[in-house]
Amino acid sequence: MALLEVKNISKSFGGLKAIQDFSLEAEAGEIHGIIGPNGAGKTTIFNVISGVYTADEGSVTLKGKDITKMEQYLITREGMGRTFQNIRLFKGLTVLENVLCAFDPQSKYGIVGGLLPTPKRLSEEKRGREICEQYLELVGMADYKNERPENLAYGKQRRVEIARALTCHPKVLLLDEPAAGLNPTEVSELTDLIQRLSVDIGFAILLIEHRLELVMSISHKIHVQNFGKTIAVGTPDEVRQNPEVIEAYLGKEE
Amino acid sequence: MSLQIIVNGLATGSVYALIATGFSLIFNVLKFSNFSHGALMTLSAFSGYFVAAQSGLGLVPTILVAVVTGALVALAGEFVAFRRITLNNSSPVYFFVSSITLGTMFEGIITVKVGANFYNYPQFFQNSTIKFGGVVISTSDLLMFFCSVITLLILAYILQKTRQGRGLRSVSFDRDTASLMGINVTRTIQFTFIVSGALAGLAGVFLGINYTLYPTLGSLVVKGFIASVIGGLGSLTGAIIGAVLLGFMETILISLVGSGYTPVFTFLLMLVFLLVRPSGIAGSNIQEKA
Repeated sequence: MALLEVKNISKSFGGLKAIQDFSLEAEAGEIHGIIGPNGAGKTTIFNVISGVYTADEGSVTLKGKDITKMEQYLITREGMGRTFQNIRLFKGLTVLENVLCAFDPQSKYGIVGGLLPTPKRLSEEKRGREICEQYLELVGMADYKNERPENLAYGKQRRVEIARALTCHPKVLLLDEPAAGLNPTEVSELTDLIQRLSVDIGFAILLIEHRLELVMSISHKIHVQNFGKTIAVGTPDEVRQNPEVIEAYLGKEE
Repeated sequence: MSLQIIVNGLATGSVYALIATGFSLIFNVLKFSNFSHGALMTLSAFSGYFVAAQSGLGLVPTILVAVVTGALVALAGEFVAFRRITLNNSSPVYFFVSSITLGTMFEGIITVKVGANFYNYPQFFQNSTIKFGGVVISTSDLLMFFCSVITLLILAYILQKTRQGRGLRSVSFDRDTASLMGINVTRTIQFTFIVSGALAGLAGVFLGINYTLYPTLGSLVVKGFIASVIGGLGSLTGAIIGAVLLGFMETILISLVGSGYTPVFTFLLMLVFLLVRPSGIAGSNIQEKA
């Protein structure tokens, strides 16, 4: 059984079929790219997998556990981390606090610890800071931990989002257009980072991306979406030669 | 400005600050003005009166009873009046109606229980005033000031340094993202109501000591409301600054135009403030929210 199994999910909004019959199986250590034109339903796929929407049909299974109808925060705790297309860091919190928010659900002190400085709380807060600083270090953002995210460059904010997602200790990491708005240097740094994480941590990564060179270079498998339908699945080379993909991307030859 | 005015202003402002922060916390998390906050203050103040003060238990048990009542009733109120609206992501209008209904219901319960009579907390202190230099400070003012300051400091610490506090702040910014980071949003909202209710309980007892206990005591919540608007809705620091300013202003106005005209000028000032700087003092200057 695969780590993440997405089976024939469909999702409609009114008359619009945002996803039709999408399936995917991802194992630990794999990187799956999801590409397609705007409005192809890519982000909706992420939203269904992470529980923002419930699928109309089909199922999502993580580590053999059916998470299709689970609540968002419980799915995250099962091991689903994600970043967002439009960066969604908490603006009034520092970088470190942003990351700590993702650690907090794993923190083991209750409401008594919240109101009184019990030894348990102090040790848990310390453990949390250490873990978060480790992840910030890993993405190269340790020096910025006391900054406010809104004061950072776009590329740095993306890294903070990744650190925050890593702090959820995901088995599956969903990256929604991580390279959007980055300059070429930042893109290549990001590519390295994603590959390194995939090898070091060994989770499955699902990647939505418009920059084909990025997706093609690091993905093991690519799913091409168009108008909610999967038009091709395969290795980067197979997909590149698929006539339907060429048509969707370049238009039909007259 | 005489020292006496400063002292009185600070004392009044500190109670307004308690009301304003309790009010702002809910506003931050659910983005609506909780109009049941005032009635909750009254309810807690009366429960303190009947359970502890009346049987001669003294000040500390009275405060404890009021704070616990405030927290528990707020928690129950959240479940009854706001939970479903929150889960459905409904329009703020429903929160508005729900909170007014809840507040009116609380007031109704109090009126049925106590009638429209006035009640007085027993004298908690042997000396009602302390002379300090040339300034006369009432013991209750002094107590209010220190209790409020300590409470607000603890609150600030909880918000900054604990997971519940961070949860509250992250949910204030973006409920959906917080939930996608594994934060139990419902639990966080409950926590917010508990804290807000406890603050209402404390403020209720202080108002009861300062004035008298009567069923519509909660209408003083307007002062907290004004303070949080002056400070900039959503900013806790702003709410506290606004509260202290309001306290000073009232004290000065009372010495200038007498207590009869003071509310007129206060509300006039709020209107002017809304016209000139609707985002409040903090507005965009102070970025932090909770």
